[in-house]
Amino acid sequence: MKHKTTALLSALAAAAIIILFSCSKNNSDNPNQPASAVDSALVNIGTNIILVSYQDLAAKTTAMDAAVTAFVQTPDASKLASAQAAFKAAYLSWQTCSEYEFGPAADQSLATNTINVFPTDTAIIKNNISSGNYTIDGIGNLKAQGFPALDFLLFSTDNNSALSRFTTDAAATNAKKYLSAVAVSLKAKAAATLAAWTGTYISTFKNATGVNAGSSLSLLVNALVYDYDVVLKTYKLGIPFGKFGATAVPQVPAKVEAYYSGISLQLMIQQVKALQNIYLGATGYGLDDKIIASKAQKNGVPLNDVIVAQFNTLLVKLNALSDPLAAAIVSNNTGVGDAYTEAGKLVVLLKVDLSSALGIKISFQDDDGD
Amino acid sequence: MTAIKLKKFLYSNTHIAPLAFFRIAFGAVLCITSIRFIAHGWVKDFYTTPVFHFPFYGFEWVTVLSPAGMYGLYAGMVLGALMICTGLYYRIGAILFWLCFVYAEMIDKTYYLNHYYLVSVLVFLLIFVPANRYFSLDILRKPGLKKTMVPAWTINIFKCQLAIIYIYAGLSKVNADWLIHAMPLQLWLPANQFIPVLGKWLAFPATAIIFSWCGMLFDLSIVFLLLNRRTRVVAYMLVIIFHVLTAILFQIGMFPWIMLAATTVFFSAHFHLRVLRAVSFLWPSLRRGDAEQGYHSSSFFKRAGVFLLACYFLVQLLLPIRFLLFPGKLLWTEEGYRFSWRVMLMEKGGTTFFYVTDPATGRRFEVNNREFITGYQERMMETQPDMMLQYAKLLQQEYRKKGIQNAKVQVESYVTLNGSGSRLFIDSSVNLAAQKETLFGHKKWILPYHP
Repeated sequence: MKHKTTALLSALAAAAIIILFSCSKNNSDNPNQPASAVDSALVNIGTNIILVSYQDLAAKTTAMDAAVTAFVQTPDASKLASAQAAFKAAYLSWQTCSEYEFGPAADQSLATNTINVFPTDTAIIKNNISSGNYTIDGIGNLKAQGFPALDFLLFSTDNNSALSRFTTDAAATNAKKYLSAVAVSLKAKAAATLAAWTGTYISTFKNATGVNAGSSLSLLVNALVYDYDVVLKTYKLGIPFGKFGATAVPQVPAKVEAYYSGISLQLMIQQVKALQNIYLGATGYGLDDKIIASKAQKNGVPLNDVIVAQFNTLLVKLNALSDPLAAAIVSNNTGVGDAYTEAGKLVVLLKVDLSSALGIKISFQDDDGD
Repeated sequence: MTAIKLKKFLYSNTHIAPLAFFRIAFGAVLCITSIRFIAHGWVKDFYTTPVFHFPFYGFEWVTVLSPAGMYGLYAGMVLGALMICTGLYYRIGAILFWLCFVYAEMIDKTYYLNHYYLVSVLVFLLIFVPANRYFSLDILRKPGLKKTMVPAWTINIFKCQLAIIYIYAGLSKVNADWLIHAMPLQLWLPANQFIPVLGKWLAFPATAIIFSWCGMLFDLSIVFLLLNRRTRVVAYMLVIIFHVLTAILFQIGMFPWIMLAATTVFFSAHFHLRVLRAVSFLWPSLRRGDAEQGYHSSSFFKRAGVFLLACYFLVQLLLPIRFLLFPGKLLWTEEGYRFSWRVMLMEKGGTTFFYVTDPATGRRFEVNNREFITGYQERMMETQPDMMLQYAKLLQQEYRKKGIQNAKVQVESYVTLNGSGSRLFIDSSVNLAAQKETLFGHKKWILPYHP
């Protein structure tokens, strides 16, 4: 009896293994199946989106550095205006790169918590300028460098005082040095990150398939969920709007990104569009194709439709507001509140539904697994 | 009849070789595991960096040690594993490893893994068996310790334990999610479609179904196939295929290698003797004097042993089915989920928006979880109600320090389970900070799962 049972079981197991291999072969003409061993989404996102974004950032930060150099040589209103324009262009370009805080960007510290810490600490900046003693990329200087520092230095409260800081002010020479140093640092980091991507990292990125810790998809989705959830929803919108913090006054408009130049919404919209672009894979293979292939649903509707719609809804709500965001927070509570609510819904879709449909774990620490 | 069988199962004389081999193989894997843990920097990431931890219910007194203490704990594991593997001061080594390991695992349930539980269970059993009486440094040290024969229970308890693991793992796969919808493999396999050779088959829905069924059949049958002498070789080949496949496809760390080492215990003494003798050229003195020397359980064990073993295995049998005490879907509520050999059964993801209300001012604000816990802790907390409860209490305690007395803590939590799509997980009107954790009480604030 016992022998019969075990014999039966082993026959079953053997049959299962045989079925496993033979069945698979029968399905080889499945049309959904990409033929190559290459993840088209990684290839497309890496080559046509990430690389292009870094090329743009490198170009824009180079142009910004040139404009800043011209301005500090002969500081006048028109050179200030062109430096400001170059700054806005570079800051907008950064919004399409902040999504990739892994690999080269992490190595080169081209990250939100190094070059986009807002609100910038004006006291440290002023002190650095008056003392002339600082390490621009030092760990204690994170709140006094990057785009937010330039935002403060180039705009301050009105154009006249920004100009006077570099002309009539007693510390004008030091201020010019500081301005240049911040611009040079950004240019250098962008160039180094681009060089690493065009060098070997692009193939590393394309080849690290799968969803385990360290795979490109895991790195990418984790980075963009962080960029959206923490950077955009919490820091750019939630905190200034007074959604966080027990003791803070209900609203802290001065904590918005780009407070001095007042282009906060423009930047935020650019960031949402960049995330949308990654999701859609621009016009090629993107995360959307993977979601469609997974047949994932949300309340009986294809998940892809829900995500696409939510990106659009959020953009509609953001477009309904007008810059400066700091003013809108005070004057248009309902409008900003609506945008915040829609932003929260997209957090759930990206962090929970999208990642789960792809089998990606958020905050994926390399660990022993189960 | 049964009594005789039981007596034979426990006390018949059997050769010690399988036990000695198991000790060496398993000890080696434990050693690698512990070194790997330190080398990956996980002691720092998991224990030194986080400010707060999520202790197990009833074991809140197990707290994280200083960084030096934590590294000491892991060094203790490496040393203990080496002592087990080589059989040098074996019992002290086994106890040392077990204490260090279990202490570390009890600090924070974030890091709970079935395979860590497996390790703690198997090493616990190792403490009680004379696995160092053959082919060990202890017998070089004290030749008188050497025994060639041991009572069968010393080997059979490991077979029983492994049987419980595989069969419960198999039973937990007998459900519609796993067998009909092929979840979560349907989500996980396509992610591997770009690996060489195997990859091209993995995106087919049929593959997930086949893998699901094979996995279930494997888990339910493998112990019987390993027990039977005639099917054993095929069975161990299946063990290798199964566990190596899971190692390729999923990130499951050392688990496959632990199972490959552990299942060798099913092989005959004859096989293990051949292996041990083949490798003993390294250390010829280990071969000397293989005359039959019996090991006798202490008379205490003879009297109390059956009872103790029965108690132990009763607990092992009951723990995995304690979920029956709770209403609702087990994978959704996770009430009675841990310590029950449910492996790789769910793709679950979540997110939480915690809200704190100051009762004095009525001000309600959102919490940035990363201010208190690490991303890893947050991820685990966001799908596990008991951790949310702990986190809510932690928030209340932290905001008390910031001057808010009796802060009300609510959570808006969304979870997706095996492709269900995200839905509200917790009753967001409930003040979690005021809820109590119990051992077997159902958490009424978990919203029921509707398929």
